[in-house]
Amino acid sequence: MDGLTDSGHGHFNTKHKWRTEFSGCNYVVKNDTVANHMRVVSLSSFLLRFNYRSTHHLTSNGFYEFLNWFDERAWYPLGRIVGGTVYPGLMVTAGLIHYVLNLLHMTVHIRDVCVFLAPIFSGLTAISTFLLTRELWNQGAGLLAACFIAIVPGYISRSVAGSFDNEGIAIFALQFTYYLWVKSVKTGSVFWTIGCCLSYFYMVSAWGGYVFIINLIPLHVFVLLLMQRYSRRVYIAYSTFYIVGLVLSMQIPFVGFQPIRTSEHMAAAGVFALLQAYAFLQYLKDRLTKQEFQTLFFLGVSLAAGVVFLTVIYLTYTGKFSLSLMRYLCPPPRYAKIHIPIIASVSEHQPTTWVSFFFDLHILVCTFPAGLWFCIKNINDERVFVALYAISAVYFAGVMVRLMLTLTPVVCMLSAIAFSSVFEHYLGDDQKKDSPPTEDSSDEDDKRNSGNLIVTMLMLMLLMMFAVHCTWVTSNAYSSPSVVLASYNHDGSRNILDDFREAYYWLRQNTDEHARVMSWWDYGYQIAGMANRTTLVDNNTWNNSHIALVGKAMSSNESAAYQIMQSLDVDYVLIIFGGVIGYSGDDINKFLWMVRIAEGEHPKDIRESDYFTPQGEFRVDKAGSPTLLNCLMYKMSYYRFGEMQLDFRTPPGFDRTRNAEIGNKDIKFKHLEEAFTSEHWLVRIYKVKNEGSSRTSSFLRKARS
Amino acid sequence: MLLPLGQMMDWASKRSVIRMNGEKFRRFVKAPPRNYSVVVMFTALQPQRQCGVCKQADEEYQILANSWRYSSAFTNKIFFASVDFDEGSDIFHMLNMNSAPTFMHFPSKGKPKRADTYELQVRGFAAEQISRWIADRTDINVRVIRPPNYAGPLMLGFLLAVVGSLVYLRRNNLEFLYNKNAWAFAALCFVLIMTSGQMWNHIRGPPYAHKNPNTGQVSYIHGSSQAQFVAETHIVLLFNSAVTFGMVLLHEAATSDMDIGKRKIMCIAGIGLVVLFFSWLLSIFRAKYHGYPYSFLMN
Repeated sequence: MDGLTDSGHGHFNTKHKWRTEFSGCNYVVKNDTVANHMRVVSLSSFLLRFNYRSTHHLTSNGFYEFLNWFDERAWYPLGRIVGGTVYPGLMVTAGLIHYVLNLLHMTVHIRDVCVFLAPIFSGLTAISTFLLTRELWNQGAGLLAACFIAIVPGYISRSVAGSFDNEGIAIFALQFTYYLWVKSVKTGSVFWTIGCCLSYFYMVSAWGGYVFIINLIPLHVFVLLLMQRYSRRVYIAYSTFYIVGLVLSMQIPFVGFQPIRTSEHMAAAGVFALLQAYAFLQYLKDRLTKQEFQTLFFLGVSLAAGVVFLTVIYLTYTGKFSLSLMRYLCPPPRYAKIHIPIIASVSEHQPTTWVSFFFDLHILVCTFPAGLWFCIKNINDERVFVALYAISAVYFAGVMVRLMLTLTPVVCMLSAIAFSSVFEHYLGDDQKKDSPPTEDSSDEDDKRNSGNLIVTMLMLMLLMMFAVHCTWVTSNAYSSPSVVLASYNHDGSRNILDDFREAYYWLRQNTDEHARVMSWWDYGYQIAGMANRTTLVDNNTWNNSHIALVGKAMSSNESAAYQIMQSLDVDYVLIIFGGVIGYSGDDINKFLWMVRIAEGEHPKDIRESDYFTPQGEFRVDKAGSPTLLNCLMYKMSYYRFGEMQLDFRTPPGFDRTRNAEIGNKDIKFKHLEEAFTSEHWLVRIYKVKNEGSSRTSSFLRKARS
Repeated sequence: MLLPLGQMMDWASKRSVIRMNGEKFRRFVKAPPRNYSVVVMFTALQPQRQCGVCKQADEEYQILANSWRYSSAFTNKIFFASVDFDEGSDIFHMLNMNSAPTFMHFPSKGKPKRADTYELQVRGFAAEQISRWIADRTDINVRVIRPPNYAGPLMLGFLLAVVGSLVYLRRNNLEFLYNKNAWAFAALCFVLIMTSGQMWNHIRGPPYAHKNPNTGQVSYIHGSSQAQFVAETHIVLLFNSAVTFGMVLLHEAATSDMDIGKRKIMCIAGIGLVVLFFSWLLSIFRAKYHGYPYSFLMN
C-alpha cells in the first residue's frame, strides 16, 4: 500500500517536471536551428513569404480588410482573391498573438511572432500528444509519446523556427481534436464534444488536411458499429460532432459549401444517417418482441440501404458530386502525371521510399507495429480509433512524401505504447505474480535483475541513438533556409551564396514600384515578398492557363515571346541559372516542365519533342535541338556565358550543372537587355525593351544619318 | 466502278482498319488526285516474323481506328489502313522501308514529308500519342476512347459473391471474426508492407535487383537514397518485422505465465532480435545515405 502511494506521488511530480522539460527540450532543439543561421531571421521557403505578407496585411489593416483582400499585385493582370482562397487560421493566430502581446505593452514585431510561432505550437503539440496517449494507454506512455514527438524529424521538418506554414499549427489542432474526440467517446458528455467541435473548427481554418479528420472519425464510428460496440456515448458524441462541426466548418470562406457538396465529406453524412437508423432500431428493439423486431429490422435495413444507394447514384449522375482530392490519392496516381503536369512536377507529391520513412522516423518506424499489436490485443473503443488512424495514415504516407507529416503523430504514440509496455515490466522492481520465492531466490532475483538491467540498458541505448539521429537530421537537412545557399570549400570553410536576396534587393531598389516581373511560378511568392513587385504567376498555381502562357513565353523564340510579354505588360524577366556554380535547381533543369505545361494548353505551338535531339536526348551543347538553342530561356540563361571560362581545364562556356559546353555562344537579343546578374550568376534579370524606345532609337538613327 | 473515295468509305464501314496489299495501296493511297488522306501502318504480323512490338502497336492502332469510326466527328477526310509485309512486300521495297512497325501519313496533296513518318522510338505507340501526331499533321482530332475494361468490376463482384456465400454458410459459427490475433496480424502485415516502400515499387516499377554487367556481381541494394530495388524492400520488410517481433517477445516474456526458463529464452531472443536487426537496418541506411555518421554494433 505504502509503496503504491509513494510511486503514485512520485509519478505526479515527475509528470509536471517532464511536461515542462519536453516543451522546453523541443524548444531548445528548434532554437538551435535559429542560432545556426544568421540573425537576419529569414523566413525559409517560398510559400512562407506569402503567409507572412498576408499576416502583415492583417495586422496593418484589420481582420475584415484581410477577409476581403483582393491582391492585384499577384497574378497580373488577373489578381487574386486572397480572402476566399486561403486558410486564415495561421494568419489569424499570428495576428492575435501579436495583438495580445502589444496590448500588454510587449512590443514585438509581427515578423518575430511569425518566425517563432511554429516552435511554440510544437510545444503545444507535445502536450496534446501526451494527453491523447494518456487517454489511450497510461501516463508513462504519454510521457514517452510527448518526448518522441518533440524531437522526431518528420515533424520538425515542418516546424522549425522560420517555417511559417499551415502545418505548424495544423498538427497541434489535429492532435488536440483527436484528444477531445477520444475523451468525448469515453465519457459521452456533450461538454467534451463541443470542445472537440471548436477544436475541429480551428483545424478547418488552419489546413486543408481537415478532410482527414472528417473521414477518420466517421470511419471510427462505423467500425465501432460493425464491431457491435454501439453505445449511447458514441451516439451522443458523433451526432453532436457532426452537426456542430459541419456548421462551424462552413464558416470559413474557403471551405464554403464544400462539406455538403463534395464526395470527400459524404462519408461523414452517410455514417450520420446510418447511426441514426441504428440507434432508432436499438430503441425499437427494447420495445418490441423478437419476431416483430426481426422482420422490421430486415425491412428497415434493406430500405435504408436502397435509398442511400439510389441517392448516391442520382447525385453522381446529375453531376452534383465532384471527386477532387480522392483521385490523387487512390491509385493509380498516374492520372495526375498524365493530365495535370503541375501536380506531378512537385517533388513532394512523389511516392515514398523506405529510406524516407527511416530518415524521418528512425527506430519509431520499426517499433510502432508492436504498439499496434498491443493496442489491438487489448481492444476498446478508443484503441479502435488509434488503430484506424495508424492504418490510414501509413497508406497515405506511402503514396505521397508530403503526407509523412500526418503519419508522424500516430507513429510516436504507438511506439511510445510499445516502449512503455516493455519498460513497465523491465524497469525497477517487478512486484507482480512470479513463482513463489524459492530457496535460492536471492540468486534468482539477482539474475533476473541483471537481466532486466541489460534489457533496459540496451533499450535506452537505442533511444539515445534516436535522439542523436534526430539532432543530426535537424541540423543537416532541415535547418538551412533555402533562400541562402551554403557550400563547403576544400578546407571545410563555408561559402555563403546570397544571390537570391541580392537580386531581390536589387529589384526592390532599382525598378519602378509598379514594375511587373515575369518568372516561373516557384519564385512568385519570394518576388512579391522580398522585392515587393507585381508578379504574373506564383506558388498558388490556381490558374493553369496563365502559367502555361508564361511557360510558352519561356519556350518560344524571342519574337514570339516578345509578343506574349507585350500583351501581359511585362517589364522584367527573372530566371535562375546554376551553370556557374553547379546548382541543380535552376530553370534549365525545370525547363521540360515549362514545356509540358505550355504544351498542355498550346499544343500547336509548343511540342515537347522539338526540344529533344533526333535520338531523344535533352542536350544544351552543339548537338542540341535548334528549337532549344534558340528559345528564350536558353538565351537568357547563357547570355554572355560563352565568354566565361570558369576553370583552365574546361573550355569557355562550360555549364557545370549539365556538364556540357553550350552550343549557342553568340547570343544577341533584339527585345531584351540584361539588367542584372547576381554575383554567382544564380539570378539573372532582363529588362523588356518596349516598342516605343526601339522605334525612337531607329528614328534617331535615321535622323542622324 | 466506285470512285476511290466511295470505295474507301465502303471498306472503312466494314472494318475500321483497311487491310491493303500492294495493288490496293498503289491505286488508293499512292495515286493522285485524292481528296482524303490516309494513315498507314506498315507491319509484319505473321508469326514467323516474330515481331512482338508489331502486335502491341497493332492493338493500339485498332483502338485508335475504332475510336475514330464511332466518334461523332467522323468525316471521310481520313482513313486508316495497314499493309502487312507478307502481303505487300513490294511496297516496303518501293518506300525503302526496312523496319516494322512504321506509321506514315499520306496527305491528300503532295508527297509525304519527313514529319509524316511517326517517330516511334521517341513517342511510343500509345494510341493517344499517335492521335496527337495525326492532329499535328492533319488538324483532325481523334479522341481515343478505350473500351471499358469490365474485368476489374467483374472480378470484384465474383469475389464478393464467394465471400458472401462463405459467410452465409458459416453463419452459425462466426467466431473466427472475433479472433483478435487474426485482425492484429492482418493490420501488422499491412503496416509493415507500407512502411517498407511497396507503394513506391507499385508506382515506379523498379527492377528486382541489379546485376553489374562488368563484374557480374548482383547488388540487392540501390546505391542512392532516391531509389530502391524490390529485393531491398523485401529485406527492409523482413528487418522491420524482426524488430517488431522482438519487441512483442520481450513483452510476452515479462507477462506470460510460462515457466521461468522459457521466459528467459524469450526475453533474450527478443532483445537480441531488436538490437541485431536494428543495427543491420541502420547499416543498410548508412550504405544508401552517404555522409550519415552513426552506426550501432556493426558498420
